[in-house]
Amino acid sequence: MKCILNTGRTVPQGASVEHKGADVYRTIASSCFLNPVDMMILGIEDGDRVRVTTSAGQIVLTARPAEGVARAEIFVAIGPYANHIISSETHGTGMPDFKSQRVDVEPTEELLKSVGELMEDIGGLRYDHT
Amino acid sequence: MIIHDVICPFCGCLCDDLELETEGGKIIKVQNGCALAESTFMTDTRLPAPIRRTETGWEEISYNEAIKETAEILQGADRPLLYGWSSTHGEAQSVGVHIAELIGAVIDNTSTVCHGPSILAIQEVGHPGCTLGQVKNRADVIIYWGCNPIEAHPRHMSRYTTYATGFFVPDAQRERTVIVVDTRRTDTAGIADEFVQIEHGGDYAVLSALRAIVRGKASVIPAKVAGVSKEQLIRIAEICKRAKFGAIFFGLGLTMSRGKYKNIRNAIELTDELNRHTKFVISPLRGHGNVYGSNEVFTWMTGYPFAVDFARGIAFYNPGETTAVDILRRGECDAALIVASDPGANFPRAAAAHLAKIPTVVIDPHMNATTALARIHIPCTAAGIDAAGTAYRMDGVPIRLKKVIDRGYPDDAEILKKIYDRLNGGKGP
Repeated sequence: MKCILNTGRTVPQGASVEHKGADVYRTIASSCFLNPVDMMILGIEDGDRVRVTTSAGQIVLTARPAEGVARAEIFVAIGPYANHIISSETHGTGMPDFKSQRVDVEPTEELLKSVGELMEDIGGLRYDHT
Repeated sequence: MIIHDVICPFCGCLCDDLELETEGGKIIKVQNGCALAESTFMTDTRLPAPIRRTETGWEEISYNEAIKETAEILQGADRPLLYGWSSTHGEAQSVGVHIAELIGAVIDNTSTVCHGPSILAIQEVGHPGCTLGQVKNRADVIIYWGCNPIEAHPRHMSRYTTYATGFFVPDAQRERTVIVVDTRRTDTAGIADEFVQIEHGGDYAVLSALRAIVRGKASVIPAKVAGVSKEQLIRIAEICKRAKFGAIFFGLGLTMSRGKYKNIRNAIELTDELNRHTKFVISPLRGHGNVYGSNEVFTWMTGYPFAVDFARGIAFYNPGETTAVDILRRGECDAALIVASDPGANFPRAAAAHLAKIPTVVIDPHMNATTALARIHIPCTAAGIDAAGTAYRMDGVPIRLKKVIDRGYPDDAEILKKIYDRLNGGKGP
């Protein structure tokens, strides 16, 4: 399903932002909020996983229903999961398209990655400390 | 011990009425704060010591060793990038600018991926703003556009707008009209008197339509603009024109979506238009506790608020070229110093990935996603918790952050001064 990815702050994201190695942060930052009608069309339930693909890459997220999200839009809290698939193009402004990335959403059985794994995918090495 | 009038350093509200209870060098209770404040003060987990990445893993090193190696990395770089700065005090920010000037680095702060576009618009058409005290005491119409203060600035509405008792607005909940404009029906939208749900990317068109209506040109507006009915637009324009004092607050819904700084310019020009009828102001809701301070410090020291490039020996500013995401995307910098921020989590992957390819040093109280990409991470004090210093609230009011406990960590300004001294042959900034 073609959608627009919108990102933003949430209270749980802010409250756990200094604990990026913790499971609670992973759960919050990897939640993908969809309109319930879109979830029905995709044939997925609350807690199922989706693969979200853009020209910049793909990521597995956990689907969550949210009435407030418009059809054909998804919302993900700002953080390493959303940024894994956002293009670094800034159109000469310095600002990437954090709120208007075109994405393709499909159901998947693949597993979620941890923040450490996402950083290791780009050449990092996690340091375990929560 | 109870400490009164504590400032929460988390978001740009810098709420200054918290009460903290400490016992045995630990904070055990936070009163008056929101959930973000409580987590900031209560669940503060630091790295115990500086760490360095080796070929096989991580090792703890001394502060002296970490500082020496950081200075060597910066000294040896042709195009270093110094990025972050928004979650620390002005004292550390100013040493950062001195280092940038000394070594010909690019220095950028987190407004580059936050309200940088707002600054570009303000540089084009100015900023008709005011302090939050004015809004609290006078504003009877509040517009939240492309922002969700219930989630991002949880006490903004209770301290300054919707629920705040003001001198000229004694019965806030009845006397203030709150309008929320967003693509999402957020929790903030749920308590609005008028919620305007616009189609994605439609902000510019809706702002232009409102400008036309306020100018008396409603006849040129079609029946719907970006999903918003003409009737609602006319109703909103009338509410604004009838206001005694209106205040627009906007967030990243305007700065990050299509049009970017042109959206803000249009919103400022709508404010200008409304000032032909009544008093109206507009201000960004700034995110990080001291991001406004980084703009202030950079501006008074270099003339520019962010994305300052000293490679020519003088300050040069060209957002889109000298901004951190662009420099990283182009793979241009060959070393990075990241202070009080987390580009590993908050930059697009391709930009963050470059940090792992070059020697990157992080100076931050907490382990974050960038730690994994770094060669060295140096833990330090957290401004407003175990370090005092100056921060600027989102409306430009400087507030002195308090040191409420001592945790035995060095202040990041001190660490940066030592790095500067090493780079400058022992002479301080």
